[in-house]
Amino acid sequence: MLDAHVVKARTRFTVDVALKVASGEACGLFGISGAGKSTILACIAGSETQDAGHVRLDDVTLFPPLLPLHRRSIGYLTQDANLFPHLQVAENVRFGLTNGARETSESWIVELRDRLNLEPIWHEPVHAISGGQARRVALARMLARKPRLVLLDEPFAGLDRYLVRELLATIARWQKELGFTMLVVDHASDVLERLCPRAIAIEEGRIVQDARWPELRAHPATPLLGELLAPL
Amino acid sequence: MLLRRTGAVIFAAALLYPLCGLFVSVGPWRWDGGTIAGAVRVSLVLTGIAMLVVVGLGTPMALYVARASARERLWWQAVLLLSVLLPPLALGILLSLAFGPHALGAFFAPLGIRLTNTPLAFVVTQVYVSIGYYVLGAVAAIDSVPKALEIQGGLLGQDRWNVFWRVTFPIARLGLAVALSLAWVRALTEFGAVVITAYYPAGMPVALWTSLENFGLPAVMPLLVVFLVTALPLPWLAHILAQRRLTRA
Repeated sequence: MLDAHVVKARTRFTVDVALKVASGEACGLFGISGAGKSTILACIAGSETQDAGHVRLDDVTLFPPLLPLHRRSIGYLTQDANLFPHLQVAENVRFGLTNGARETSESWIVELRDRLNLEPIWHEPVHAISGGQARRVALARMLARKPRLVLLDEPFAGLDRYLVRELLATIARWQKELGFTMLVVDHASDVLERLCPRAIAIEEGRIVQDARWPELRAHPATPLLGELLAPL
Repeated sequence: MLLRRTGAVIFAAALLYPLCGLFVSVGPWRWDGGTIAGAVRVSLVLTGIAMLVVVGLGTPMALYVARASARERLWWQAVLLLSVLLPPLALGILLSLAFGPHALGAFFAPLGIRLTNTPLAFVVTQVYVSIGYYVLGAVAAIDSVPKALEIQGGLLGQDRWNVFWRVTFPIARLGLAVALSLAWVRALTEFGAVVITAYYPAGMPVALWTSLENFGLPAVMPLLVVFLVTALPLPWLAHILAQRRLTRA
């Protein structure tokens, strides 16, 4: 289970959010841009240090004290693929595997490669691949280590609908198969709904509603949330 | 394109123009093989050792400064700039006082370690004159590596050392090579500070000076040629290797 209480001062407001996500559950953080969703994810990932609160993942305390990044079983995918520019696609995907795990993980790597259709670019340098391909490589690299917690921060921004649909289906399938806990940030409700049955709505760093999507759509807690959920 | 290239050629020609001095007649060149070989050996070996120290101490410092907060970073940069801005002669005097028999040297003397006019003094002086250049250059090189990549490296299970070795260093290596080249040239060509702290053993700059004093220009010219030939390869090689790996990546 992910048990997090994130307190982090920002310029306009302080993010103060407490949430619990059961093991294997997928939960979406929903709200307008600048509501503090990405800050929550960054603090849970450990790329930002929160001012107070706590983060626990199953029996491991991530904060406080701040657990070093390499000891966290967390996969973190953002809208920037952040591939290592000096490595080929295959080297990027295998980056997080230790020497001992490489051989035992080979069948898993092959599965990732084939299901994400990376074979044609497998030995390409990353500067030679498209943005959509880069996002798929980043997904494969993140899942290669089979993390217990997956954090997705608008990983589909800027991608075409076809690719987004494909990636959503792939992630949803793997989430069920591997059973990892997942926290997803997006301001597109249809994207979140495909991945997460539960949504936590955030406004100015606070939780305004924590519900299933039908409940959220039927009774949005705030006018802003209602506007966000209304069709265009 | 042609115009810009012509401009670059004119720039390079002007930069290298002083080398024309090698072709000015100063009488028959006086080759003193023993002096030249000794000076080259002292300079290359001791500068090599100094560079190991510079890289070993300077790289962690550069990593720290590059990732420090903006305010803290300003303080560290002031310290580094101070070491770079000190005139070499002034630095030599300060080093000879600080490491001399009335200061730190007093603690080392009973151990039989002399901190002036020894190879150790030579290396220490070279480290002091060059490490600021290396760290400032290395900070700029490390700055060019997005922090998000290092965070990804960490979350992919790599500890700090592995993140540096597998992410930061490969991406920053061209900049680090430039920083090392600057430090190498700065240390190898150092005269003002070395002549105060380590007149012996004589490296190439001091040998140039003593040859000029004792035998005039005919003795200096061969040393100059050897100096140029021996000083250039290492920084150039560093650039070539870094560039080649970057291109391959």
